[in-house]
Amino acid sequence: MHENAAENSITLCRSCDLAIRKRALPSGVRALCPRCSTALYDTPYCSVNGMLALCITALVFYFPANFLPVLEIHFLGSIRTTTVFQGAFAVFDQGYWLVGLAVLTAAVVGPGLLLLSILAQILIVKWGLNSVFWRKSLKQLLKFHGALSQLSMLEIYVISFLVSSFQLSDFSDIYFGMGTFCFTMLFLVTLFLQREYHLEHMWTLLEGHC
Amino acid sequence: MKQQGKDIGLCLCKMCRQLNSTELTHCQRCQAELHIRDYSSLQKSWALLITAAILLVPANIYPITILTNQGQVRHDTIFSGILHLVNSDMLPIAMIVFTASILVPWIKIIGLSIYLCAISFDIPISKKKLMVGFHAIEWIGRWSMLDLFVISITVALVNMGQLLDAKPAPAATAFALVILLTQLAAKVLDTRLLWDRLEPQDDTN
Repeated sequence: MHENAAENSITLCRSCDLAIRKRALPSGVRALCPRCSTALYDTPYCSVNGMLALCITALVFYFPANFLPVLEIHFLGSIRTTTVFQGAFAVFDQGYWLVGLAVLTAAVVGPGLLLLSILAQILIVKWGLNSVFWRKSLKQLLKFHGALSQLSMLEIYVISFLVSSFQLSDFSDIYFGMGTFCFTMLFLVTLFLQREYHLEHMWTLLEGHC
Repeated sequence: MKQQGKDIGLCLCKMCRQLNSTELTHCQRCQAELHIRDYSSLQKSWALLITAAILLVPANIYPITILTNQGQVRHDTIFSGILHLVNSDMLPIAMIVFTASILVPWIKIIGLSIYLCAISFDIPISKKKLMVGFHAIEWIGRWSMLDLFVISITVALVNMGQLLDAKPAPAATAFALVILLTQLAAKVLDTRLLWDRLEPQDDTN
């Protein structure tokens, strides 16, 4: 094994395996690999309480965002509405289960699990739950965090409201519903939460609290 | 001066980015399996990419939505849908859809195959440019989902029988698979292989 000091000051680029000496960074600055310009690390700063606040806010918006109507169509006197959740099931019902599954995962299940996972992580850290069970759960949550954050595609869904409303405005009148507002808020709060959240820092917290 | 991790006996855990000694088989922090280099990832990535390239054909030639407007049925492929947007004076929207559902999949497949060729056949292309391209592909790839979201919203909203009705069509599944497979192909690949293979030939890039 190597000296502890050496291990702390050297890091490897995850894309090209270059050995790099770590330096202290001013806040808000990111270190890039000198060879392949992959992002390496940034200043590990995250306020646990700030993240908790953002996470709870996001969860408050989560249910109205997914179950309130996002678009309304007024066509020859009849009014139809749809929610994000119904959207996924509509394609599912038509037999395109793969498409339905993809939409459901990226817009409903992915973000939901991501928020729950972050909430659980924050609570474990905040309450200092030290038993073996909690440490194991925290470790599992951290391991799946990368995949979960890739699965949630809220930003793309927000753009797709706009695109579909413009497309359909060709045929009839389109109105946004309460769900649109909640979904956009869910997207914004989650965006700020993910800016605040640092996976690397969470890993050091896991090591720290043993 | 430039040392790689494997030369000095260190290996980064792919899961949690903890630095480990190469003597270990599993990460000391998260117990995930450690690979100094994952050579099989190249084959996996090729396989996924070729499948995606084949599926891109049905995704583009079959209709992706079936629209009924006052009794008239219109089968729209990805491209004809965009043409229709252009014709109805929605150029900005047409550009967004074009980028998300035609440009991005093509760039992804062509870019990844250049990248994989560079590794497999030792082609001397600037590694820095390849890597920048790779990060761009990883980031932009998810935006193809836009088309599927739009389809799902439209299908759920517009269901008034003969008056106005939208339904998904076979290309939607093929398109979803193209996105899934290309994303996996980029995710699975061990990019460190690129930097090993080309090292002796052009050290400066």
